[in-house]
Amino acid sequence: MKLGVFVSDYRTGADVLDRLTAEKLGIILVGNGVYNATVKENGKSSSVLEKPATFYVLVEDLESRGFSAANVDSRVKVVNYGDLVDLIFNDYEKTIWI
Amino acid sequence: MATKKLGFVIRTLPYKIEGSRLAMTHAISSQTVEIYLEDGDLVEPVVCFIGDGVLNCLKSQLAMKHYGITSLEQHVKNSLLLDLNVLICKEDVDRLGIKEDALIMDAEDIGGETNAKLVPYSEIQKAMESVDHLLFC
Amino acid sequence: MGKLTIGCFSSLVGSMSLDFAVKLSEAAVQKGHKVDLWVSGNGTMLSKSGQKAFKDYSALAKKVQELVATGNMQVTACEACAEARGYKKEDTMEGVKRFSMDWYLASTFSADRVLHIGGD
Repeated sequence: MKLGVFVSDYRTGADVLDRLTAEKLGIILVGNGVYNATVKENGKSSSVLEKPATFYVLVEDLESRGFSAANVDSRVKVVNYGDLVDLIFNDYEKTIWI
Repeated sequence: MATKKLGFVIRTLPYKIEGSRLAMTHAISSQTVEIYLEDGDLVEPVVCFIGDGVLNCLKSQLAMKHYGITSLEQHVKNSLLLDLNVLICKEDVDRLGIKEDALIMDAEDIGGETNAKLVPYSEIQKAMESVDHLLFC
Repeated sequence: MGKLTIGCFSSLVGSMSLDFAVKLSEAAVQKGHKVDLWVSGNGTMLSKSGQKAFKDYSALAKKVQELVATGNMQVTACEACAEARGYKKEDTMEGVKRFSMDWYLASTFSADRVLHIGGD
């Protein structure tokens, strides 16, 4: 399946992501999930970014939390709401929110 | 005539937040969805419990006695009474130290004939792949 | 153009998940898609009339009404969830509907995509 996963939280959700498999997996970091794209705890990036997936982060939620595109891990693409709509309709058949 | 399959995946604990309760009641509402659809069209839910969500499936919940609300146990039984496909993740049940006989696996006491299935996560993954839409709660 | 059904159980104030749902709906409508937004559980309160905008709380009522007015977005609230919260039919925001939970399932039947926000 082609699955887009909206990750809306920080530190939680790994239980789902660790086991989930998809032919095409997109991880879309929104809400507090954006910390996975920016915070390096003890110098280490979030383990979420180790998944075999394409990563996106929502710019509004990023900026609302004091970050900019410059703070985002190079594996993550910065997107806006319009981009999310296109991802939902064009890139992924199913979407989930965790 | 068409059938759309919905996968309700419950990963939240039974009380404090409403997620698992609403997942169950929405899944059960598939029994009356035909009033909005064309003749022959159906919505078929599968209800999967994963992670901490398996704790919704414990027997002997006394929520009615103490909180005055229907227990999640009752909702699981109602789902089985209505022949919904209920899957419980075995790895998570084992991880949490739950014995199978502590789980609601049937609704015989209220006349149900369908049993819940304790399955490896791989079966739940297959169920998620087979549905049209996924609803995580 | 497609149809997106969004279901949201999250709180009107605090969670920011309804804010996300409304902004995503707006972007989808702007791109020519149809949106059904189902609000249930604590999310039901999004559809209540008489919300006052304060700067410390999410204020989505105006945007929701603008989107409903486009004719390309429908907002429907869970009737039982509303009544359980003391929110009566006459308190429903103009243009918003109230139905039982099976309405949401029917909406998913005809949806091209579903995004279900099931958290609190």
